[in-house]
Amino acid sequence: MSNVIEARGLTKRYKNTVAVDNIDLHIPPGRIVGLIGPNGAGKTTALKAILGLANYDGELSVLGKNPSKDRAALMEDVCFIADVAVLPRWIRVWQLIELTEKIHPRFSREKCLEYLSSTKVTQDHKVKQLSKGMVVQLHLAIVMAIDVKLLVLDEPTLGLDILFRKQFYTNLLNDYFDEERTIIITTHQVEEIEHILSDLIFIQDGRIALDCSMEKVQESYVELVVAPDNAVAAREMQPLYERELFGRHIFLYENANRQQLKELGELHTPSVADLFVATMNGGAA
Amino acid sequence: MNRLMALVKREYWENKGAFRTTPLVIGGIYIVLTVMFLITFSHFDNEFQSLKELARWVSTTEAGLRGDSIYAVSLVIFPFLFNVVLSFVVFFYLLGSLYDDRKDRSILFWKSLPASDTLTLASKLLSAMVVAPVIFWVIYVLTYVVIALIFSIVVLSLGENPWTLFLGIGSPFKAWSMLLLSYLAIAVWSLPLYAWLMLVSSFAPRIPLLFAILPPVVIAVLQIWIEFLQTFTLKKNLFGVIGEWFANSPFISINGDFDDGKLPLSLGAPINDTFSHELSVMNILDRLFSTQMLIGLIVAVVFLGTALWLRRRATES
Repeated sequence: MSNVIEARGLTKRYKNTVAVDNIDLHIPPGRIVGLIGPNGAGKTTALKAILGLANYDGELSVLGKNPSKDRAALMEDVCFIADVAVLPRWIRVWQLIELTEKIHPRFSREKCLEYLSSTKVTQDHKVKQLSKGMVVQLHLAIVMAIDVKLLVLDEPTLGLDILFRKQFYTNLLNDYFDEERTIIITTHQVEEIEHILSDLIFIQDGRIALDCSMEKVQESYVELVVAPDNAVAAREMQPLYERELFGRHIFLYENANRQQLKELGELHTPSVADLFVATMNGGAA
Repeated sequence: MNRLMALVKREYWENKGAFRTTPLVIGGIYIVLTVMFLITFSHFDNEFQSLKELARWVSTTEAGLRGDSIYAVSLVIFPFLFNVVLSFVVFFYLLGSLYDDRKDRSILFWKSLPASDTLTLASKLLSAMVVAPVIFWVIYVLTYVVIALIFSIVVLSLGENPWTLFLGIGSPFKAWSMLLLSYLAIAVWSLPLYAWLMLVSSFAPRIPLLFAILPPVVIAVLQIWIEFLQTFTLKKNLFGVIGEWFANSPFISINGDFDDGKLPLSLGAPINDTFSHELSVMNILDRLFSTQMLIGLIVAVVFLGTALWLRRRATES
């Protein structure tokens, strides 16, 4: 099966700045991709191009379609939650369901109502009467009731409490994801999604700083914790990044000799957050 | 088609207050005022003596003339408040049509649905041109019927025949049809204005009202100024063009000389003789198939095309 997203030389320029700088993306079906980067790195801009919300330079094909020309057709197979609480505030839940049903050929009312039945959202509620968490639940219920090939979530859980966030990702993983579907998620709360991701893409200053699968991350990257005495020796092994925690030195290596490292201290699999920090600070140097 | 209808429904739901509640309130005010008038009258009236005399006097006037007056009143004076409020409703609806969802960011949800921007624009234009006028018209007709019913009951209780007195001679169906026709014709005639408002709505970063009014005012004032500097005369400028265009809009008014006590109905404001001002279906169509309308349509297409172009690229403002 061909790639869900195929981008070559994708570039987006604003007046004085380049938000997305000549990036290539190849995302196959059946993956959950985390798109991670600091504020203003170009994540949202890249996603907007993918969703046909902004024009761009370079080649971009999403499910074989050109998003800037065929947004409406593309949206039959793609769904997105761009940030929290973008549901129209005036609308009632039943109106929202009826509209989506009439406009979206792949929407299932039964599924949507089933998801909603486990929440406190009722059909007669207006969106503006709902709490932020309930709005996200409603939006997720609608999105999960749409049978699409690509789901894009841009900061879907921003500003929600931990209970909602956990529930959100559990639902997504258990009830929605399958081999055919691809999900792209951006978030700042990396630690919450790292166990569900299959691929990782780091974006920095509009460029891709890292693009690899989670298995590869575990294979290639290793974290070493050493006592101060061994710090000099560890530093000589060319770590990507070094930090200090409670008087102990922590080093991050890429493709290093694990046998050698083991003699110096404890080995760990680095968390995505640590890898991110290392890539953003050390990796660029 | 289903998608378009769904989108029009969305416009109706979102603007229920303006499209439905507003005319209902006007109709309600009309009915309440009618009832209040009757109660006040009866309060000071000894056993309805003067009301009885009034009805008797009305019944002695010439039926043909009375019918014409009732027709004119139910076509121009009675719906006046509906007309004025409808134009305000449509104006502000269009001004917000492509702006509000950018402001509250719900555009990001609407754009996640497989409905093209062209279809979205069409649904909004259709709501302004057809949905709002038709709802106002229906509620006007209902108000008319209720008030006619109230008066019929009063007249009956006074021992007069409401049918010969006013019901049977005012040609209400003709008046209603003409009013609806004029509403729809005005909507077509107003396309350049509607398109301008949608363009502003899709463009304005904030305060669309300002962006709608300021550019034409600036252009017109500059025109007047330059013209005055060059020739010390005041020739046609944008104000004049817009004013003339408003005057020629196919609205129905009472204008002209009172011949034999008959209320003179007129199509548009008779400030010039570009079009015939006699009220008839043919004359309404004549305006819609004129060169002026064609120019207006071209302007509208340019504005709408630009609005669509901007909408395609719009996310949140």
